[in-house]
Amino acid sequence: MDFPTAAKYASLLSKAYAEDIFKLLVNYQAISASEVATRLDLHIKTAQDFLESLEQLGVVSKEEILEKKRPYYRFILKQTRLLIDINLMQVKREPSQNSLSSHIREKENAGARFTVARSEDYITSVTIWTGNGREREERKIKLTTPQGRFLYHLPFPKAEPLTVDVIMQKAGIDESLAPEILDLVQLLEKYNVIEALQEVPK
Amino acid sequence: MSIMRKLKPDRNINGVIIPFSIVPIFGLATLFFGLHVGLITLAIWMFVYSLFYMYVFVRTWNTAQLVVCAEGAFFGFMFLVFEPNFGTNSVGSREFKAAYISGVIFFGILLVSLVITRRLKWRGREIFELAAESVDETSNGYTSRPRPVGKVEYSTQEAHAFALFCARHLIALPYMSSKNITLVPIKMGDEFSRLLGLSGDYRDASWVNFDVSGEVSVHIAQKDYLDYREPLAFDQLCTSFGQVFIDFIELYTKGEGVRVIDRMDNLKLSFLS
Repeated sequence: MDFPTAAKYASLLSKAYAEDIFKLLVNYQAISASEVATRLDLHIKTAQDFLESLEQLGVVSKEEILEKKRPYYRFILKQTRLLIDINLMQVKREPSQNSLSSHIREKENAGARFTVARSEDYITSVTIWTGNGREREERKIKLTTPQGRFLYHLPFPKAEPLTVDVIMQKAGIDESLAPEILDLVQLLEKYNVIEALQEVPK
Repeated sequence: MSIMRKLKPDRNINGVIIPFSIVPIFGLATLFFGLHVGLITLAIWMFVYSLFYMYVFVRTWNTAQLVVCAEGAFFGFMFLVFEPNFGTNSVGSREFKAAYISGVIFFGILLVSLVITRRLKWRGREIFELAAESVDETSNGYTSRPRPVGKVEYSTQEAHAFALFCARHLIALPYMSSKNITLVPIKMGDEFSRLLGLSGDYRDASWVNFDVSGEVSVHIAQKDYLDYREPLAFDQLCTSFGQVFIDFIELYTKGEGVRVIDRMDNLKLSFLS
């Protein structure tokens, strides 16, 4: 299951009335939104939205009923077990040779403020400014020790850029920590603190 | 032939303002409370001044500071002696004149010789000039991040001894912890605010740090970087700044500490800047 689908399940299950609706779905062969709403004293729209969301997730099916009045839907439970199963490793950033070999350095006039640890050998946090005008606000990013060591060894603006893996070697960071380093690089690139150079200046 | 300096001319007047602030203080105290109070104020100021230099001596073990300390105490005492006898004949007595004039001559000659021989000079400008000597490229690239500049082989005792050497010769003010020795070079005129803790955390100043494993790192404050005439390549400047101290520690551990002083004296910077 992917993260957004799991989030939808979690969001539905977190509703105060979710358990009561499922009780109705289990005990009734088929039930309409208005029946659910009157039975549980909910607004019809609330019941309708909840059942429609379950239908989109494939937990229930709906069948159109054509009577004298205008048509409506009745919902039938399809799954008797709900299983949220997320493989967290799917979001892990596996370092590719390409990402480790990109040449990077600090961007000139990045406007970031670096806080150095008392031991003076790594950076504990980076403070950057985001947004414009009234939206402008200070954002402090706390770093893990390997990230702090990496940033400590990052080449200065205008200095010769180095590849990510070379900087990691200089900082004495194990290869297994590459995902968290790449995450930081990506974040700081987004905020214009780090620049990646396609061609290395001579 | 004139030497091309990379630092802007020294226009810092802090070093003059603090000692000479006694003149308006004396004037105002005399104006509002009379000459007797003015003289006592003058005496108290001289004792405070003397205490400050005693503190500088304790912090650096630079013996020249003791002369300034003694001078402050002597003149403070003279003003206290002078005050109750003001307006009487004893002030104009030969004994008083002899004591006062001999003090002025003794401390005057001693202080002038200490200033001329640069024993009272904080060497921050020399350090920054030496660091910039090998940097010709101008490309700016300033960042507030510290820079690791290399590794040096030394024992903890050697590093401590070097830090004390730097303090004794006013090359830099050391801040020591169990893992680090951080040396903060101070320019003339900045010593009052730095030593009195008015300049904020020393980590925001320019420094070079030696850690227990021999790693050397450098930080140059923006204020000091802007003191250069041109926007020197910052990366190279940091490397060179660190290299100056690496050279110094190597010379010192070889027993050639005097060469360190020679290198700075050879720059022939004004003894007041």
